[in-house]
Amino acid sequence: MNGIRRWIALGALVSCLIVTRAASADECLTCHAALGDKPSTLFKADIHHVKGITCAGCHGGDATSSDMEPAMDRKAGFIGKPNGDSISVLCARCHSDAQQMKRLHSSIPTGQLELLQQSVHGNLATSGKSRIAQCTTCHGSHGIVAVKDPRSPVHPRNVVATCTRCHSNATYIRSYNPSLPVDQREKYLTSVHGTRNAVGDLKVAECASCHGSHNILPPKDVKSSIYPTNLPKTCAKCHSDADYMKEYGIPTNQFEQYAKSVHGIALLEHNDLGAPACNSCHGNHGAMPPGVESISKVCGTCHALNSELFSSSPHKKAFDDLNVPECESCHGKHEILVATSALLGTSPEAVCARCHVAGTKSFDEAGMMRRLVDTLETSESEARMLVEEAEQKGMEIGEAKFRLRDIRQARLEARTMVHAFNEERLRTIIGKGLTVAAWASEEGRQAIDDYYFRRVGLGVSTLIITILVIALYLFIRRIERQQRQRGTVTSHSSHGSTS
Amino acid sequence: MNDQSTVGGPQTKRDFLKIVLGGGLLAWLAAVMYPLVAYLKPPKQGEVQVTSVKVGPVTGIAEDSGTIVRFGNKPVILIRNASGEMRAFSATCTHLDCTVQYRKDMGMIWCACHNGRYDLSGRNIAGPPPRPLDEYRVIIQGEDVFLSKNT
Amino acid sequence: MSRIGKALYQWLDERLHLDDLVTFMDKKSVPVHRGSIWYYFGGVTLFLFIIQVFTGILLLLYYKGSDQLAFESIQFLMSKVSFGWLIRSVHSWSANLFVLSAVIHMFSVFFERAYRFPRELTWLTGMLMFFIALGFGFSGYLLPWNELAFFATKVGTEIVGVVPVVGKPLMVLLRGGEEVSGATLSRFFGFHVAVLPGLFVVLLSVHLIMVQRQGMSEPLEEGHQQGARRNTIPFFPNFLLRDMLLWLIVLNLLAILAVFFPWELGKKADAFAPAPAGIKPEWYFLFMFETLKRFPAKVLVVEGEVLGVLLFGVAGLLWTLVPLWDRKRDQGRRNRVLMYVGIAVVVYILVFTIIGWLA
Repeated sequence: MNGIRRWIALGALVSCLIVTRAASADECLTCHAALGDKPSTLFKADIHHVKGITCAGCHGGDATSSDMEPAMDRKAGFIGKPNGDSISVLCARCHSDAQQMKRLHSSIPTGQLELLQQSVHGNLATSGKSRIAQCTTCHGSHGIVAVKDPRSPVHPRNVVATCTRCHSNATYIRSYNPSLPVDQREKYLTSVHGTRNAVGDLKVAECASCHGSHNILPPKDVKSSIYPTNLPKTCAKCHSDADYMKEYGIPTNQFEQYAKSVHGIALLEHNDLGAPACNSCHGNHGAMPPGVESISKVCGTCHALNSELFSSSPHKKAFDDLNVPECESCHGKHEILVATSALLGTSPEAVCARCHVAGTKSFDEAGMMRRLVDTLETSESEARMLVEEAEQKGMEIGEAKFRLRDIRQARLEARTMVHAFNEERLRTIIGKGLTVAAWASEEGRQAIDDYYFRRVGLGVSTLIITILVIALYLFIRRIERQQRQRGTVTSHSSHGSTS
Repeated sequence: MNDQSTVGGPQTKRDFLKIVLGGGLLAWLAAVMYPLVAYLKPPKQGEVQVTSVKVGPVTGIAEDSGTIVRFGNKPVILIRNASGEMRAFSATCTHLDCTVQYRKDMGMIWCACHNGRYDLSGRNIAGPPPRPLDEYRVIIQGEDVFLSKNT
Repeated sequence: MSRIGKALYQWLDERLHLDDLVTFMDKKSVPVHRGSIWYYFGGVTLFLFIIQVFTGILLLLYYKGSDQLAFESIQFLMSKVSFGWLIRSVHSWSANLFVLSAVIHMFSVFFERAYRFPRELTWLTGMLMFFIALGFGFSGYLLPWNELAFFATKVGTEIVGVVPVVGKPLMVLLRGGEEVSGATLSRFFGFHVAVLPGLFVVLLSVHLIMVQRQGMSEPLEEGHQQGARRNTIPFFPNFLLRDMLLWLIVLNLLAILAVFFPWELGKKADAFAPAPAGIKPEWYFLFMFETLKRFPAKVLVVEGEVLGVLLFGVAGLLWTLVPLWDRKRDQGRRNRVLMYVGIAVVVYILVFTIIGWLA
């Protein structure tokens, strides 16, 4: 080697020393960076490094020593490469210590490890040796930056990529839950959230917005943010925030309306899991409002009969041609209230007149259908009242009472049949109910009449018997008087009367 | 004392009393006969309709069929599948109390009101019903089928 | 009118020699004294029995005696048949009044000691009829095949089965099997409408003939002499008319009860369902039921229930045979002890019936 190279090497060594003396706290990094290994390269940008935490802060050992042996001495606390759960425990040594975090001038939360351990990712991995995810699984190990930093794997722009590293891997997921889908990303990209996220919109929802970050629970867990009864509130976190949503130009009253609706009350107040939450109609990962032509199909996943009848009714083509949303036009979308017969007909609060003009055949048909339904409702309450009155009076009316349920059935079936918008078909169903109602009312009336008849009859019989009894009594008295006068009754004078 | 000695008063009194007595007796007889005759006249519905437990001989229930039976004041559906086994369930749909029916073409129990479906074990499998149908006991004693509540 | 009547009478008389009968009937008289009011109760019991036969036959026209149809047939009767409600409620109420009247009749005879010579057989037939009346009540109660009746019958026949030696076979005989079932209903129906009426009518005829033959018994009195003149009224027409009067009032009472307190039907019996709470027998069995409940489970070597049933049996036997062992009756002397025994029995029955009712 000639003199120049020697000088360069010496210079390098000196500058090394200068450099390391300048950052003298982290001799580990100095050496390992010189070795050119990846972790140290990454670590240079790591926030922990910026805050002045050395390699030894996690790996243990003596960061002040440039000599390998004392630096990586077990007795000095060196643990080498941490594995499994010990990784997260290591992070938690500071990150779960509120005092420590304050000292380091950090205001991030400190409960992450606990939450992680209780989450679904805190379950044991298939190896059985450690939990499924450690802190480093999502945050990275050596290039950890703040969440707000675009380089972080958990920055909103990068979250999807981070999560799908496992969750789009069918083989991997199958080893945990064979029925868990792995197509979330594909679906997500069809949604507004997905498309906007892809172009850099940091405000839209990504995986963590709905599922949470550390405390992710399976959807079937009641504590999960996406459990049906919790899901509307999760969506509402953004969608009900008017300021947050200002630039998107969509309404922000959906949750408010939904909470008042039949579905909302069923789900949120009665905990009826059969009721739809936001995702039932909008989808989960591919969340999007249903298209105008497909609304009936979406509603029809539960309201199958109504949807079927509607789709084969004249309204289907009419609505599609006018580009008018199906079920929603009459029933609303988020604020769906109980559908009473008030919706039907030609009066101001009914919906038919919104399109149908007075004087047309369809207008008249709408009015007639309403009248049919009203007639049935009236007949039903009349029948019920009469039967109840008869029952109250103690008359035997079991059969009529049993048949009342048939009237109710007809009324419910009629409500569905309305969606065929065909007077004849409605009339058939209503007719069934009216027949039973008429019969039951008649039975009730007869029973009530019988009740009074019995009392009147008793009165008459009692009257007859009373008269007869009095007459008989007088007759007896007369006979005995005559007998006494004739002396045919043996009695002493002192005993004047017979008992 | 002769009856004829007194004229007018007691005579008319006697007659009046006898008239009242006789009349009362006739009225009483009428009041007894009228309900009797009405009772003996057969009512419109000639015979008692057996509706409470419309189960009879096993042979009377067709295979692959469902029959609605009145159990007290509740409807019960008795299903006999193609291999002859019988099960019975409450026929009151758990959604909004309509009466369900057996659909041979679907091979399941169906509710006409809102398209609720139950399998042949009474479990709600599609549509709005939130709960399965309560099962009733089918008891075959000798040749007859009985229904009883599951206690 | 009377000419036709006379002609008819003559026609019959030529063939049957009714004169003796007529003279006899004419001479019949009924003693009048402080206890005369009790004479009416035999007649009321008879009247109520006639009502039972009458309404019972009417019910037979619509009732169906199978466990499948019994309940429904009564439901049908109560709701669809004209006045069916009336016939049924009258039958049920009259049954209870019949037993009540029989009890009063029996106790009045007991306290007046009318069972003494020469009327021992009258008492015997009367007691047998009383037991049959209880049998009528027990068998008839089951016929609607409703829940209460089903379980009451179960309990009642079980108690029969408790009697040693003969109990079990007797129970199986009554039930038509090991358990209470449709077979039981068939048997009870047969007992109720054929066997018991037949027996009852035979006993009743004997009872009435003897009463006619021997006349009404008169109460004992200290220093009473046989054959002394007493106050009497003729049976025809006085006593009979009074009887009719009372019977009319009882009839009206039955109608009032039927309208304002119709007899309930309840739920149909379900053999496979558990017994509802508060099963108890009809009121005339309540005192026995309550007493048996209070017997300890075991008395020495004998089961409490068995002892209770046997005691009741012995008591019933003694009561029935009272004419035989009431020594003092022939001597015409009052039997204070017997009177107190009688009062004790009445009080005991009353108290335990009330306890059973309130429980």
